[in-house]
Amino acid sequence: MASLPPIAIPGQRLGPLSTYSAGPGTHVQQSFIYASIAGPVVADPAQPKSQTRPTLRVSRGIPSKDQASSNPAVPAVTSKPRYNTLPAVDSIVLARVTRVQKRQATVSILVVLDESATQSQDQSRTASDNDNVASILTSAANPENHSSTDELRFQALIRKEDVRAVEKDRVVMDEMFRVGDIVRGSVISLGDQSFYYITTARNDLGVVMARSDAGNMMFPVSWKEMRDPVTGTGEQRKVARPF
Amino acid sequence: MADRRRINGPPGGTRPPVFASLQESSTDIANRAQRQRQPTELRKIFLKAGLIPTASGSSYLEFEPSASLAAARSNPKSLIPPSSALKLACTVHGPKPLPRSAAFSPNLVLTTHVKYAPFAARKRKGHIRDASERDLGVHLETALRGAIIAERWPKSGLDITLTIIEAEDDRWWGDAPDSHDASWGMMNVLAGCITAASAAIADAHIDCLDLVSGGVAALVSDDSSQSASSAPRLMLDIDPAEHRSILSACVVAYMPARDEITELWLKGDSSRAALDRNDGRTGHEALIDGAVDAARGANTVLAEAVRESIARSFA
Repeated sequence: MASLPPIAIPGQRLGPLSTYSAGPGTHVQQSFIYASIAGPVVADPAQPKSQTRPTLRVSRGIPSKDQASSNPAVPAVTSKPRYNTLPAVDSIVLARVTRVQKRQATVSILVVLDESATQSQDQSRTASDNDNVASILTSAANPENHSSTDELRFQALIRKEDVRAVEKDRVVMDEMFRVGDIVRGSVISLGDQSFYYITTARNDLGVVMARSDAGNMMFPVSWKEMRDPVTGTGEQRKVARPF
Repeated sequence: MADRRRINGPPGGTRPPVFASLQESSTDIANRAQRQRQPTELRKIFLKAGLIPTASGSSYLEFEPSASLAAARSNPKSLIPPSSALKLACTVHGPKPLPRSAAFSPNLVLTTHVKYAPFAARKRKGHIRDASERDLGVHLETALRGAIIAERWPKSGLDITLTIIEAEDDRWWGDAPDSHDASWGMMNVLAGCITAASAAIADAHIDCLDLVSGGVAALVSDDSSQSASSAPRLMLDIDPAEHRSILSACVVAYMPARDEITELWLKGDSSRAALDRNDGRTGHEALIDGAVDAARGANTVLAEAVRESIARSFA
């Protein structure tokens, strides 16, 4: 097996298809795997059951500790990661509610969470990812830049029947979301020209951050209620299960 | 629509007058730029990616000023510089959502804007893109579209903006436009745009088949006496100010790892090339091969610049 380069540039040949299978950030031409983005090369070891060859991928530069350990030539990443990954079907996103209507809620997608980060059980890694998300969410909560940034974000719809899995016909959108809430959702479709479609019909999906009428951050008390810690009043939401 | 309430300046650019007697003088020969490089020797390229923090990808490119320009700077004989060297900046914004009015697209929608700064060329450019700038944008778009893996970015758009800070001349400034005159400087600008845009796209982490780089080759005849022996010769990476007459020029956008050309622009008459007798190629084949060689040279710089920007972002 030929040694892999630590950092690949687009068009660089990484290895034959007989030894590896192609992962994200690579493409195949004439049974060889080539890099299609610039970044560190990572060989994910083969899963014992599902596949027989290790998967080659070129990392987009989202920091993680296990990458650095598997490839010692690449130093651990500390710089600001750039989330230019697109929402795809089944990807988990964080979105801010921009409009609530009778049949649907409009949200704008803030972050597409990395699939590997959500699957990973590594505590330190999840923590670091949440830190980045927190910084993005606080920047998004700044009311001055709403109108300008919304045009640069991907828009999505949560239809009434995608809010929850049970009693779909009794859903009242006003009791599920309010404008400004941060929602964790799963993409179900790329949708039409303008909107993605998102579902929150799972226990771990729904509102994760919300402010009350008084403007205080609320904490969840049940799957359908959040409470203001200062005034003590409860408000109805479709709440995501806290971890 | 002109502003009728104020007294406006002339609509076009103005140039200081150059008198014919001045050009005929002996200083003309000394001031005229001469190519000091070998026919196959390229100018040095400065290329750096990731300089603009607000863009998702960016790059800055500069060609080495010609030897005559360096000499004129140290020992100025005229107020007018003998030649100019390309300087340009490229920004990539995206992938971002398409505008609401756009139709659904399963692929990445590429938009390219090439704009000369008003002061970039000897003749001032307006603030609105003119026909030649739009033409460059279309050429650049075809060059890049062949390299980008568009189906990996559905429903999103990518804006590539190039600002030409200093453009190449079309001819030596003292020469009057003649019969085989064309906008040769534009072809050098396009080659620079392709190389810089490729670096910026790699910096933005957009999936590409390969790094695509631009190269120029031209058939030039430097002999002022129009004798039969002075057949035009093939030169790589020409500076149009250094040549008396350029008969034909060619730009390619080339992907070396796949040995593929994504964009080809050939202009002029290439039938009279002076090739080796054993050389079975026709004039335009030799031109394209020369441009590919130039693009290969630019690619070594491009690969190094991309590697450097990646190493910096992971340091």
